[in-house]
Amino acid sequence: MRFGVGLWCLQSTSSRPRHHGRAYEELVEDARVAEGLGFESLWLSEHHFFYDGYCPAVLTAAAHALANTTTLRVGTGMLLLPYQDASRVAAASVDLGNRCGGRFDLGVGLGYRDVEFDGKGISRRTRARKHEASLDVLDPLAGQDTFTIWGGAQTEAGIRRAGARGYGIVLSGALPLPLARSLVDAHRSAWEEAGRPGGTKPIAGALRNIWVTDDAYEREAVLDWVRASYVLYAGLGWAVAATDDNPLMDFAASGNAAIAEAVATTIIGPAGHVVDQMREVADAGIDYVVCRIALEGAPQGAVHDVMRKLSERVIAEMAQ
Amino acid sequence: MRIGISIEGGREAEAAAAETHGLFGALVSGVAGAECNAGAYAASVTTYVRIVVRLQMGGENPVTLAEEIAVLDNITNGRVVVVADVSGLDAEAAAEDVGLLRRALTPTPLRHEGQRWTVPAGLPEHRATDSVIVTPPPAQIEVPVWAIGASSAACGVPVVRRALREPTTAGLVQPGLVELSGELAQDRETVLAWASAGVTHLFVQGARLDDVSRFLQPEVGMVQFPRIVANAAQPMPWKDLKRASEA
Repeated sequence: MRFGVGLWCLQSTSSRPRHHGRAYEELVEDARVAEGLGFESLWLSEHHFFYDGYCPAVLTAAAHALANTTTLRVGTGMLLLPYQDASRVAAASVDLGNRCGGRFDLGVGLGYRDVEFDGKGISRRTRARKHEASLDVLDPLAGQDTFTIWGGAQTEAGIRRAGARGYGIVLSGALPLPLARSLVDAHRSAWEEAGRPGGTKPIAGALRNIWVTDDAYEREAVLDWVRASYVLYAGLGWAVAATDDNPLMDFAASGNAAIAEAVATTIIGPAGHVVDQMREVADAGIDYVVCRIALEGAPQGAVHDVMRKLSERVIAEMAQ
Repeated sequence: MRIGISIEGGREAEAAAAETHGLFGALVSGVAGAECNAGAYAASVTTYVRIVVRLQMGGENPVTLAEEIAVLDNITNGRVVVVADVSGLDAEAAAEDVGLLRRALTPTPLRHEGQRWTVPAGLPEHRATDSVIVTPPPAQIEVPVWAIGASSAACGVPVVRRALREPTTAGLVQPGLVELSGELAQDRETVLAWASAGVTHLFVQGARLDDVSRFLQPEVGMVQFPRIVANAAQPMPWKDLKRASEA
């Protein structure tokens, strides 16, 4: 199993205010710690027109992190592709990949907020078509020496589109493991049905809420940070569509219930417990975990500390 | 007059040399779409110099461009200057795009209806607001926006002049861009001519930075610079006494 860390959103929130410049400074500090501890990647997230400055320009933020590291991969999780001119995203991605020696992971998603589509002058109804057309522009330019494309959907249709193109996926952190397993299966099936593009099974990655601690207070605090981070998504109006096995998780309409379900996905406890849980994640077919540790309310010292614990006690154990 | 350097795309590490030579800024020109990548890489090797980003206008929504600039301005702690390249746009289009970019960089609700852009679009299928605020706000109170290209005079911002005969535009800031020869006497005359023409910030290409910092910047940094200061022998450099004694 491979490990990254996420999601850096570069916010200054009502509960954790800071200068926006400090958010970007911390990004570099955090990236260097992740790199030093051997994590493969760090992932960024994008939104627009939100009060807290949620990063609207993940390519620029990725350039900032890549310019200040040497081995760490930096990914967008996700760049909301329908909002942008595909040729411009392509030029920026090739440029960035060339600068950093191919360490750039271009994760792309559809976007879901009406206010963002309207602000960008794009009809939400066209998002899937525009997304696919943009991928047609990006796809021929991707490669090990430039950038790698990842899909960031949470519906079966979106996951299948990524699989059919041979792209790796990074599933949302809020998905219950059974749902994640079914999406991983759909990803693999779509890749096989499409004739196995690329020749190698694309990576099935997932963002998961993970924290290593032996301390009861820290456990309580971390679960509250996870809760607070999903309150933000309630504010953004995020939802996870219902499936046969899972009910609708609508963070806007039924916030408390959806938040509770998301918090319940958190893997937290002593290292041995986390290792056991991670093996269940691996059994679900997930071979790349982006540890969701950049949580609302989590001080930087705590994030660095848990990165160290994950590296020394979990990743090292799972590598044996 | 202040002198800065113009850097070709992919050579942003040279921005560090601008800083160590006491210049005011580095104009970086990344490929279209990757301008802020270039800015971020230049920022990574500097602390003080202005990161002057040549930004291609006309293709992407100015709101998206403003978001990139706002993020870069926070990355650089407020060191960004935008040179909006309006090449290929007619005067009306250039004015709209640059005007929208500038408004989007302010922390106020934005609503724009123009020939090229409507923000927000107000599409009936969306449950959206009648205006948006671009976030994060830039670190600066106002990000300087200058313009370059045939229609730049229509933009209502300082124009980067590329020839002395080009007219000045309103405002205290008068930027310019010139290719130097690398020959000191000739370059001295060139920068003096640009200073006499009222240019306040001149980006130079093709110059030896040692010459710029020692001879050219002082020449235009005061009235009647006493050249004996630059022409005299340089003070002895410091040496590592500990290493010398060990040797």
